Amino acid sequence: MGPLIPNGVITGEWSFVIAILIGIAFGFILEASGFSSSRNIVGVFYGYNFVVLRVFFTAVIVAMTGLLYFDYFGWIDLDKIFILPTYLAPMIIGSVIMGFGFILGGFCPGTSYTAIAIGKLDGLVFTIGLFIGIFLFSEAFPLFEDFYYSGFIGNVTLTDVTGIPAAWFAFAFTVIALASFWITMIIEKKVRKNIKEYKF
Amino acid sequence: MLLLVTGALFLPQKPEYKQTKPEDLLYEIIQPTRYVTTDQVAKMIIDKDPSLELVDVRDVSSFEKFSLTNAVNIPLDSILSKSNQDYFGISGMKVVFYSNDDIKADEAWVLTRRMGYEDTYVMTGGLNCWIETIINPEIPSDEAPYTAFERYEFRRGAQMYFIGVNVESKTTKAKVTVHRKKKEAAPSGGC
Repeated sequence: MGPLIPNGVITGEWSFVIAILIGIAFGFILEASGFSSSRNIVGVFYGYNFVVLRVFFTAVIVAMTGLLYFDYFGWIDLDKIFILPTYLAPMIIGSVIMGFGFILGGFCPGTSYTAIAIGKLDGLVFTIGLFIGIFLFSEAFPLFEDFYYSGFIGNVTLTDVTGIPAAWFAFAFTVIALASFWITMIIEKKVRKNIKEYKF
Repeated sequence: MLLLVTGALFLPQKPEYKQTKPEDLLYEIIQPTRYVTTDQVAKMIIDKDPSLELVDVRDVSSFEKFSLTNAVNIPLDSILSKSNQDYFGISGMKVVFYSNDDIKADEAWVLTRRMGYEDTYVMTGGLNCWIETIINPEIPSDEAPYTAFERYEFRRGAQMYFIGVNVESKTTKAKVTVHRKKKEAAPSGGC
């Protein structure tokens, strides 16, 4: 049956409608998870709040396992889903920059919008900075265009690269996720003892 | 969650396609060995060769109007679907694609070969050639070599096999005239 658009179940024009609906749902979940607070988000780097890790790990393992079963039941054909192209070195550098931005700003692009949605000024300032960053990046793009497109290894998955079945990666991620939930719970308890006042 | 993901480990895996390298594929495309003639296909059908697997890559309506004996219909646009993969890569089986001409069958051959399936062939000229050579075989000229007559005789036999018409051979055979030597007069006289 799925994916719906490549299989012709619905037309491509629906992609915008679906994008809006998924965007609203995503924003709602981010806000409901407390991601509109930069204190919550950066807590993962300081060790007093691991909600980011827990939410994203939960999303990853639920999505991974869900897709494996959906594929098995014939509800979605995993061979037809879009795989983001991999540019190895630029992606590693980009991730590091993103991480620093995360720590410094207290938001990632998505969460900054949820912060704006509930009227937070720091979210607004972050988003203005975000657009300045996009503008500067676009203007300076010719300088690092070669690097940006370097290290291309195709639209590959971990299974393509290693030959290990996807189910094993899902299993490994789940074990790591559950272990990290337990470890971070202990860390949080210890760290929060020393925090007298904690506001979200 | 752990139970679910552990269960996922035991889900049946999709077949891993051993993709043919593009360079190898290009080399194989120009090899004449990937073609089988209509005569070869006809002989295999008549011999009831169990290793022959005929795949008609035309659309369903064309297949229903006319198809070769025991052929399966896998339209070209669904040749990559999961359910049709079971027809390919069977050890000891020769998959022969055919369409009205060579084009669609060639495309099917390239697609399946790229996916790593071996022992796939294309029937030269497709059904058009089949009609020309097996259903309406042409009588070779008098100057044609002996093998052409042999082939013609085979095709006549195949024609009768496939369309069930008892057609008499139209081969022009030269009348054989026997020239007998005149008997020489017996020696007469004697001693």
